[in-house]
Amino acid sequence: MSFLSSYIHYIGCFSLILIGLYVVLVKPNLIKVIIGINLMGTGVNLFLVTVGYIHAGTAPIFSEAAQQPEGMVDPVPQALVLTAIVIGVAVLALALSLAIRVYDHYGTLDLRKIKALRW
Amino acid sequence: MVSPILLIAVPLGLAFAIPVLGLASKRVPRYVPVIAMLFNLVVSVSLLPHALKAPIVVRTAGWAPPYSIHLVAGPLGVLLSSLIALIGLLVAVYGIDYIREGAKVKYQILYILMLVGATGVVLTGDIFNLFVFFEVLCISSYALVAYRGDSTGVEAGAKYLIQGAIGSGLVLIGIGLVYGTFGTLTMADIAANVSSVGSFRLFVSLAFLITGFGVEAAIFPLNGWLPDAHSSAPSSISAILSGIAIKAGLYAIARVVYTVYGASSILPFLAVLGIVTLLIGEMCAFGQEDIKRLLAFSSIGQMGLILFALALASATGISGAVFLIVSHGLAKALLFLASGYMIYRTGSRDISSLNGIGKRMPIMSLCFTVGAFSLIGLPPFVGFASKFTIVRAVLGTGSTFFITLLAIGLIGTVIEGAYFLRIVQGFYFKPAPEDSPEQTEGKVPFSALVPVGLLAVLILTIGLFPGIVGRVLGPAADDLLDRTAYVQHVMGD
Repeated sequence: MSFLSSYIHYIGCFSLILIGLYVVLVKPNLIKVIIGINLMGTGVNLFLVTVGYIHAGTAPIFSEAAQQPEGMVDPVPQALVLTAIVIGVAVLALALSLAIRVYDHYGTLDLRKIKALRW
Repeated sequence: MVSPILLIAVPLGLAFAIPVLGLASKRVPRYVPVIAMLFNLVVSVSLLPHALKAPIVVRTAGWAPPYSIHLVAGPLGVLLSSLIALIGLLVAVYGIDYIREGAKVKYQILYILMLVGATGVVLTGDIFNLFVFFEVLCISSYALVAYRGDSTGVEAGAKYLIQGAIGSGLVLIGIGLVYGTFGTLTMADIAANVSSVGSFRLFVSLAFLITGFGVEAAIFPLNGWLPDAHSSAPSSISAILSGIAIKAGLYAIARVVYTVYGASSILPFLAVLGIVTLLIGEMCAFGQEDIKRLLAFSSIGQMGLILFALALASATGISGAVFLIVSHGLAKALLFLASGYMIYRTGSRDISSLNGIGKRMPIMSLCFTVGAFSLIGLPPFVGFASKFTIVRAVLGTGSTFFITLLAIGLIGTVIEGAYFLRIVQGFYFKPAPEDSPEQTEGKVPFSALVPVGLLAVLILTIGLFPGIVGRVLGPAADDLLDRTAYVQHVMGD
């Protein structure tokens, strides 16, 4: 029980990553694959936040002069996550626009039927 | 001395100024990449003597590492940024007339962004910053692969994007693990503290990083996207993707493995992967009927050889790898650029339709032949000098393991020779197909002849006088191998 409660964030974010990977690997629909990529990205972002998380920590803002940095969460991973979210949005937008183009050309989003190119 | 940060800032500014300039005149945007890359080339080359003395560390916002995001312009970084600028400049000149339809303005923006991403990857000293530049490179190349918007381009772009996005996710997990372990993102700071952490924790994060960067570097099980993406993109983009983009991934792996982790125990594994990649790439290339797909598979093979040479962990081996990065970059850019106009002329990408083209396009065919011979490794071209350095390095290690691998790898080179000679034979000694339509749009403009000719001249010149590049190779190898010096330079005072 104590193991579960102390590592629940890590278990949560790695489950999200694995669910995302599973969706990418198994689902034949391009839109679902893109959703899988996004799920995985969310899991990774959660993982980054978790790395800097302290139980019952506060925001790292020094509002009073006497405040000590102990008990504050690490702000660096949050900055990283902001960047990663922006990158994720760009990839998502590009992926969806490609999906529209794929549908225009092939009339389907089923990846098993889109195979003009092969090794 | 100019600050290396301008190598990133100026092209980035110019890229986003393109839409505004495009309002003023429709003809201006196509010349902007040429200006940006010319600037980068001049600055990189002028930085080279300084970087050879000591790596230039650029601090942002006045904070010393490890608290700031900083650039480290060492010999290797500046050499590669010069190569990127050189190939970028030549391909930009080629692109002035080559890109005829579609969103030309967006093409130029994405083109500069892709090169900025690659330059940032080789210059940065911060592992998260490496990831950000890597994403700039990747996202713009996803878009450029699908640039034509035809069915193959879109399909290849989607495949590339799916695999690339997963690779980036893995890199980010690796960076999270690194930050959790060391509490820092500065590569030099991590390198200084690596020995204080248990090997299993290091291995897990390193495995994530190598797998993630390996997708972009097209190492064997992760390279499914490459032949599609490189063959479906416009030829000018294929030249950059094959000549530069995949090298950025390989550089990231080398930097992480050598400088950051100092992980010599996984090198034999990387060497085996390299040889497997080499053989798979060359064998697949052998069976291709499509000229651009053939070149793309040949890129996979060469990447395998570079990875193998990097894994030798000796100064000569890494010099050879960097030399091969330079020579393959020049040769593959030349081959893609030359084949671009051959495809315009014949209207087909089949190798058999290129038969007899030596008479119709003498200069392009001659340059293509130079590039092909250089890739095979025939003297006096630069490919010979680089491959010879690698062979010498392997024999210098004296280890049976590496020599056996090299012997297997040389089979790949023989296969490579076979298919390139088959193409060249078709150019000159086979009659043109009877029903070949003469495409009038295939007239080669001056803006295409100059870069292709210059690349061929460069390949020949560096091949005859390898010392031109050779002076930088030794310091570049030390830049990767000598971790204590790297840490000292960056962390410094």
